[in-house]
Amino acid sequence: MRESKAIWSRILYRTPRLAVRALSCSLPAVAVRSEPDEASLSLSVLFGSLSDMVAVVGAEGVLLSRIVRRSLGGQIDRAELTRSLYRMGIRSLPIVTVTALFVGGIMVIQAAPTVQRYGAQGLLGWAAGFGTLREIAPLLTALMISGRVGANNTAELGTMAVTEQVDALRAMAIDPIGYLVTPRFYGIVLTLFLSTILADLLALIGASIAGRALLGVDPNVFYNGLTGGLLGVGDVVNGLIKSVVFGVAIALSSCHYGLATEGGAPGVGRAVNSAVVVSAAGIFIIDYLISFAMP
Amino acid sequence: MSEGAKAAAEPGLGVTLSELYRLLRLTVRCCFEGGLERGSVLRQMYEIGNRSLVFLCIVMGFMGMILTYQAGLQTQRVVPDLSQLGATFLELLVRDLAASICALMLATRVGAGIAAEIGSMVVTEQVDALHMCGADPIKHLVCPRFLASLGMFTMLVVLAACVAVATGTWTASAFFGLNPRTFLNLSLLSTADVIVGLTKCIAYGAAIPIISAHAGLTAFGGSEGVGSATTRAVVGSSLAVIILNFVISGSGYLLFGS
Repeated sequence: MRESKAIWSRILYRTPRLAVRALSCSLPAVAVRSEPDEASLSLSVLFGSLSDMVAVVGAEGVLLSRIVRRSLGGQIDRAELTRSLYRMGIRSLPIVTVTALFVGGIMVIQAAPTVQRYGAQGLLGWAAGFGTLREIAPLLTALMISGRVGANNTAELGTMAVTEQVDALRAMAIDPIGYLVTPRFYGIVLTLFLSTILADLLALIGASIAGRALLGVDPNVFYNGLTGGLLGVGDVVNGLIKSVVFGVAIALSSCHYGLATEGGAPGVGRAVNSAVVVSAAGIFIIDYLISFAMP
Repeated sequence: MSEGAKAAAEPGLGVTLSELYRLLRLTVRCCFEGGLERGSVLRQMYEIGNRSLVFLCIVMGFMGMILTYQAGLQTQRVVPDLSQLGATFLELLVRDLAASICALMLATRVGAGIAAEIGSMVVTEQVDALHMCGADPIKHLVCPRFLASLGMFTMLVVLAACVAVATGTWTASAFFGLNPRTFLNLSLLSTADVIVGLTKCIAYGAAIPIISAHAGLTAFGGSEGVGSATTRAVVGSSLAVIILNFVISGSGYLLFGS
């Protein structure tokens, strides 16, 4: 039983990678030349990164299924979860606050020419609110959390993996997924969800301040535009659902790259870099898919 | 250049800002002195520019589709007329989103790379070795990255913006039935928008390598130090991008009016 599961996860992990590699090898020799700085590099880079991408998605799926199984069995280390939540959530408050206030201001500045052109001061709240609640607040909060929390988490797990502390846990019959990964996973998802709620609120406050200062729109008018019927609870919920999915994406890629780190200290640097890049690209791709799924 | 960049990341904000300013001043002076190692700038340009291209094009391609789709939906709720959709999209893209989203992406990709490289040189005492040889680490490590980022940034943004326009046009014609000719409407685009957009490119291109190099140079304490330097670089660069965006957009609006 157990062995067949291991085989399945190996197949899930390997097959797409092999398929894409076979595809890129069957291309003309130009595409698989190995010199790193040639003009003909782009194709092999593209296909190489494509096969890596597919492999990473598969590995993250396997990791997610393991995490879900651990949490269904209730094998989460509570103390570690609390510690993760404090380190990830509370310590990120300052950057979330600063980002959200400024983002609100930027939204108003960008909407300002249109508002002035049509003289539609009453619509400012709606314009800024729609963009902030549905897109910008979840997106930018996710990018900031991915840079601060996700990168830190990869560096931590990567250092543990490189110094064989993860193997030591296994040797003591402590499950690294249950003890290390699951609490961090829930820590990141919860942190991002709560930060997005805070960021929504602060961005709207920032927007109303900037509207008052730049366009002379009274905060009451702004508030009326916000609640005037064009915006509903649905828009807020849409943003929050996005934030949860972004959180899952960030947590999975940061934990995956952390655990898969090899090659000493430089390996940790590489792992952090790829975790951040993959989370950022993943956030945008998922955002696109969600925009279609929930119009 | 990067005022407030570290606002929340660091306890000693004033000290960090003055250090960043000092690093910027030294770097600019070194760049004007000349005598850089041959090919070093080109190598960094390849590293920063070419290697970010695929990543940036994917992200901006999706960005163009998301933006057009959401804006189309939003407009349809209020007025059924979508003819101004393309013009607004292009205006927003040129004035703000192309530069800022690219900068946030490059802050993670390039910023993390620079900080990890310089940071691991610092903790393995290679930077001290440079000092011992009488070579200035700022000239050999920071200058090429600064010049390369300054040079490549605008090109990357322009290219990625073209990708975003292409995917946006496709989305508009596929989901809202807009003719590409109607969508590619430059009537709202003014010189002021282009100036603001390009100023943003230059400001971000200068701020990101300086902040990341500073994070790398102040790394200490082995591999964990490199990890935390990378985090500081990414967070500091992203915050700098957002705050610079606010400052430049605000002054652009106050200067040019519309």
